Amino acid sequence: MHCQHFEEMLAQQPDGPLPLAAADHLDTCLRCRLLREDLQAIGIAAREWGREEPTPPPRVWAAIQIQLQAEGLIAEPSPHGRGLYLQPAANRGWFAGWLTAAPRLELAGAYLLLLLIAAGLAGYRTSLPANPLDRPSAAISAPALDGLGPALDGNMQRVVASFSEYDGSVARSLRRNLGIVDNLIAVCEKSVREHPGDPLAREYLYGAYQQKADLLAVAMDRSTLEIK
Amino acid sequence: MARTRPSETGAFSEAEAIRRAQQGDAAAFERIYQLHSRRVYALCLRMVGNTADAEDLTQEAFLQLFRKIGTFRGESAFSTWLHRLSVNVVLMRLRRKTLPATSLEETTEPDEESGGPRRDFGGPDVRLSGSVDRVHIERAVQQLPPGYKSIFVLHDVQGYEHNEIATIMNCSIGNSKSQLHKARMRLRELLQEDARSQARELRQADKAKKGSAGTD
Repeated sequence: MHCQHFEEMLAQQPDGPLPLAAADHLDTCLRCRLLREDLQAIGIAAREWGREEPTPPPRVWAAIQIQLQAEGLIAEPSPHGRGLYLQPAANRGWFAGWLTAAPRLELAGAYLLLLLIAAGLAGYRTSLPANPLDRPSAAISAPALDGLGPALDGNMQRVVASFSEYDGSVARSLRRNLGIVDNLIAVCEKSVREHPGDPLAREYLYGAYQQKADLLAVAMDRSTLEIK
Repeated sequence: MARTRPSETGAFSEAEAIRRAQQGDAAAFERIYQLHSRRVYALCLRMVGNTADAEDLTQEAFLQLFRKIGTFRGESAFSTWLHRLSVNVVLMRLRRKTLPATSLEETTEPDEESGGPRRDFGGPDVRLSGSVDRVHIERAVQQLPPGYKSIFVLHDVQGYEHNEIATIMNCSIGNSKSQLHKARMRLRELLQEDARSQARELRQADKAKKGSAGTD
């Protein structure tokens, strides 16, 4: 057997036992013996790498849950009675479900409050360098995030309360959707607490707050349309 | 506030989870995620080499899975189906990333597998046995073209058999074997080049040390 034949044999049977002719060739050819040893060393290192089993952080599942709900892919309540709050069977988005039935909403100060939240988010956002990976953890100050959650919660309670005055089912649906976003926020906050220096964790938390602000904005938009 | 925790989804079987997920059962979606997320995440992480992209791709792979789960009829193993989908999601991302980086000059002599430039490797052979470890492999794998990377990660790192890879990658078993061999050969070249440059640096540092000692 020649070296070229040996390599062709390796390509056809990269892991199988060597045929007798190939084994004989290895006894006499240092080049092919080194090749085989190197490939074996690569295989051993690869298997060692494969033994590590990294776990995705909880925020990945939280984000999937939100998206599943947004796309209306989840049709029935969980039989366990906990976990996701679920929409009735429908191929509609989670906003659409309650917006189609939304009542008139008259919150005179709502826009002002939304503007305050938006300003808070914008201030937080502009304090960050363009590349998230370059952001030092100090750039995303704890006070900037601390004020955001309670502010959003307070506004949401007002919006939900005003919906309740007109249509209890819409308020319930809104609460469900709030529950999902709050779920995501809780997971992200936990992640930030556990990894305070991780800019990605803070980015996810910012995104979660933004989703809650978006929810508030859509509710207010809807109320304005109804008023008109 | 209600949250979904792993213990709340019950321990129903994969087949039951699939059947219930096809009807939109939330707990079934989570059960499927619990069963397969670590393997999918590991695959994504090893293919792209950074956690941010791996998280993003894992999310995308599971969303695609859940969108298509109604079409799963059980002709192939569910895990094979999921991993085929995951590999496709990763390859799409890798190809989108690598395309703009290829200049016109680099495409004049395309690499057989990637279509990218063929690298030249010089110098005498360096023995890898005993010197190559997980860290070296991890670094070198990131330099492989996407196709080689997929086969190598699936087979040598994730432990798939060639018949499974053939289904995942939509190729023949023979093709999977020959691509694996080429991937290993390319990795060997990359690792040898790495070892040579390390040896060069050591020699230069040694020379500089001796030089400074001579002038003292």
